[in-house]
Amino acid sequence: MHELDVRIRNFLYRRFVESGRAPHAPDVAREFELSREAAGAALRRLHDAHALVLEGDVLEIRMLNPFSCVPSAWRVDAGGRTWYSNCAWDSFAICAALHSDGRIETSCADCGESLAIDVRDQRPVQHNCLFHVLVPARHWWDDIVFT
Amino acid sequence: MNLFRSEEHLERWLAGREPGATTSVDTVCALAHAWYADRLDPDWRPHTLEQNQSILRSLGLTGEFWQLG
Repeated sequence: MHELDVRIRNFLYRRFVESGRAPHAPDVAREFELSREAAGAALRRLHDAHALVLEGDVLEIRMLNPFSCVPSAWRVDAGGRTWYSNCAWDSFAICAALHSDGRIETSCADCGESLAIDVRDQRPVQHNCLFHVLVPARHWWDDIVFT
Repeated sequence: MNLFRSEEHLERWLAGREPGATTSVDTVCALAHAWYADRLDPDWRPHTLEQNQSILRSLGLTGEFWQLG
């Protein structure tokens, strides 16, 4: 990954965690004194490198994994805020990224009954559920939203 | 990547589809911490495929299903 792209990626994550809002291409352009086209191209390169996920063909950021930049069925209270994640793994990963305890609230994928798991000292507390991943690892990024 | 109340719920959700991989919540929590703890580091660098494969291996997530590339 190009050094500028790493710096842009780190800016995006920092700004998202500070503000709770995903930056847009004009924010990147301003921060790095780039044209909007160059900023947009950087976002596309980061998407292609799996460093973030854009929403379809537009330049809106959908995921800064493990964070979801849009509301989802996975809520994580951690670090004094409520976040959305993209899946079960990412929910625990928000606690990991923030180096924080937390509480994950979602529902059973089968019956829809609410599930809540607390994370303390990097471990889940009092739970009785299972984690399942349908897609083999080499295909996770074929369709990351489905995965 | 989902959570289920029990094996019975997982089987019903699969509805005859080929299952993927099932692990404990403890394992996926440990995986998340090993994989993502550096995600917000100011000097973050991308993991290599081998680094990530090593994380999976260290948690016993081995075999064809867990091969990243």
